[in-house]
Amino acid sequence: MATLEVKNLSKKFGLTPVLRQVNLQVTEGEFIVLLGPSGCGKSTLLNMIAGLESVDEGEILIDDYVVNRVEPKDRNIAMVFQSYALYPAMTVRENVIFGLKQRKISKEEIETSLQHFAKMLQIDELLGRKPAQLSGGQRQRVAMGRALVREPHVFLFDEPLSNLDAKLRVEMRREIKKLHEKLGTTMIYVTHDQIEAMSLATRIAVMNEGIIQQIGSPQEIYDQPNSIFVADFVGSPSINLISGILTKSGDSFNFIPDKQQDGFKIPINGYPFKNEPQEGQEIVFGFRPEAISLPNESLKSQLRVELKPTLIELTGYEKDVTFDFHGHEVIGRLLRYSKAELGTAIPLSLDLSEISLFDKSSAKRL
Amino acid sequence: MSPADQLQMQSLERSASFKRSFYRFLLFFILGLFALYYIAPMYVMIVTSLKSMEEIRQGNLMTLPREILFDAWKIAWGGRGYDAGDVFLRPYFWNSMKMVIPAVVVSTFFGALNGYALTKWRFKGDNLVFLLFLFGCFIPYQAILLPMARTLGILGISNSIAGLVLVHSVYGLSFTTLFCRNYYVSISDEIVKAARIDGAGFFKIFFKVLLPISGPILVVTVIWQFTNIWNDFLFGSSFSFGEAAPIQVALNNMVLTSTSVKQYNVDMAAAFIAGFPTLVVYIIAGKYFIRGLTAGSVKG
Repeated sequence: MATLEVKNLSKKFGLTPVLRQVNLQVTEGEFIVLLGPSGCGKSTLLNMIAGLESVDEGEILIDDYVVNRVEPKDRNIAMVFQSYALYPAMTVRENVIFGLKQRKISKEEIETSLQHFAKMLQIDELLGRKPAQLSGGQRQRVAMGRALVREPHVFLFDEPLSNLDAKLRVEMRREIKKLHEKLGTTMIYVTHDQIEAMSLATRIAVMNEGIIQQIGSPQEIYDQPNSIFVADFVGSPSINLISGILTKSGDSFNFIPDKQQDGFKIPINGYPFKNEPQEGQEIVFGFRPEAISLPNESLKSQLRVELKPTLIELTGYEKDVTFDFHGHEVIGRLLRYSKAELGTAIPLSLDLSEISLFDKSSAKRL
Repeated sequence: MSPADQLQMQSLERSASFKRSFYRFLLFFILGLFALYYIAPMYVMIVTSLKSMEEIRQGNLMTLPREILFDAWKIAWGGRGYDAGDVFLRPYFWNSMKMVIPAVVVSTFFGALNGYALTKWRFKGDNLVFLLFLFGCFIPYQAILLPMARTLGILGISNSIAGLVLVHSVYGLSFTTLFCRNYYVSISDEIVKAARIDGAGFFKIFFKVLLPISGPILVVTVIWQFTNIWNDFLFGSSFSFGEAAPIQVALNNMVLTSTSVKQYNVDMAAAFIAGFPTLVVYIIAGKYFIRGLTAGSVKG
């Protein structure tokens, strides 16, 4: 049974289409992350699910009921906002129970519920304070508490961690994940941060220009991006993309990068093509930075290369090294003790088992 | 750094610090001059109001009174006590109060409500509506005199305090809407969204969520409206006469219609009384005025 279903949803702001025929099915207990750059329509989609934006075309179903004309408060949802959106003039207690008070629930029930969730979120000490007297992390907790006491069927999160500093963001991210595991409630989470998406989601929906480009488990999205956009958007540092031509010799294919000299080519063996590619097709060859490593015999399918580092960035556990790859700039992720010096070519392995190939004109996965 | 460089550095430092103190002096000198210039009329008013007519005729405007007399103030406020035709300010002062307080409350309240509706409940054509309000700010007083007189006549409230309350409320609405709209635009829409999900309606969100954080802008609109309405002469003199007149009209009558010798001390005291309430409002709420006008986002 789908807790939430979005059918052919479209929306325009004036003449600008923000959502085009979006379809999404969410089953009970899933954690769906809507991921995309700003302006891709992900927040609009969330607002429409919440009932804060009207629907132009299509349907939204919550628990199999079309809620297009149902008021936000009656949709069995709760939402956490980027700016926390706490009511500044009210204390934490009043903030949390404001929604319950509108629903004419008995005082005792409100109090029990408040105490329960305040303890769970460790805000029971703060109930008498005003939002202005809280730190960012505390405000975030209060905002979550306000959502939790409603005991909704679907939680909506609109970039809830974007206003926090880096350290706190990681902490709160873990808490949201724990919360999801504890409550098992369906959650829809909007973010532009792909690490947040990767770490939280059971499924990620990557959006761009009002369309869901790909939907799948974080692993799928990362390993088998279905378009250049998804490949490029997910992962940091970004995937290496090199354009060139696919050639065929006998049964095997070779990739010849643009700008190459002296006949350099990469053999493509055992790549699961969706459709048989054509000889001479223009394609984009993609591989993740971690596909480059120091020479490693254990790799099943690999290409031995010698590359010159042009930039070295230490990130702590690893170092991101930029190489000159036959006239193309590529980034490799090496362990921090790997010896690499600017300008001195080093022998490396390029793992060919997890490459992605895209058609250049359609930007789709081959 | 070589010794020569150091010497040069020191001399540069000295000249910079001289320049700084010189400009500082110049700045305060000019500011002081302007302060004196602006405060002088009030000084003249106060000293003149405390003098006897005798002394005024003999002396200089700027001299302090030989003897401080409150007679002029008493006459300006409560009359001489026996002269039937005398104009004095007390009843008109209360007229003005009865006019200003409801007009300020009504125009501020509806201005806030308008601002809230225009920013947080966007509808088709909301910008056009706002534009029309903005246009209202530029309509001169004179242009609405005749239509307003007709309207008051039809409503049966011409020459009454109620009529003046209506005129000022309606005229002030453009300004209060403008102020409040600009303030609410800076408050996060997410607060309103959260309240909608929590199940609060239009008015509940306004009263429980937004109004409690509107302090700074309400101070601005109250000061603005209070000052304008209290100081208004044109509407007061056009739409009221006799006993229903506000204080500015009475002041005019008092100063211009005296039959005998000009009582400068009484006139000055009366003018001061007429201007006093706005002064009080500024002193009490003035520091919030600038703060409210420049208020940016309110962080929750």
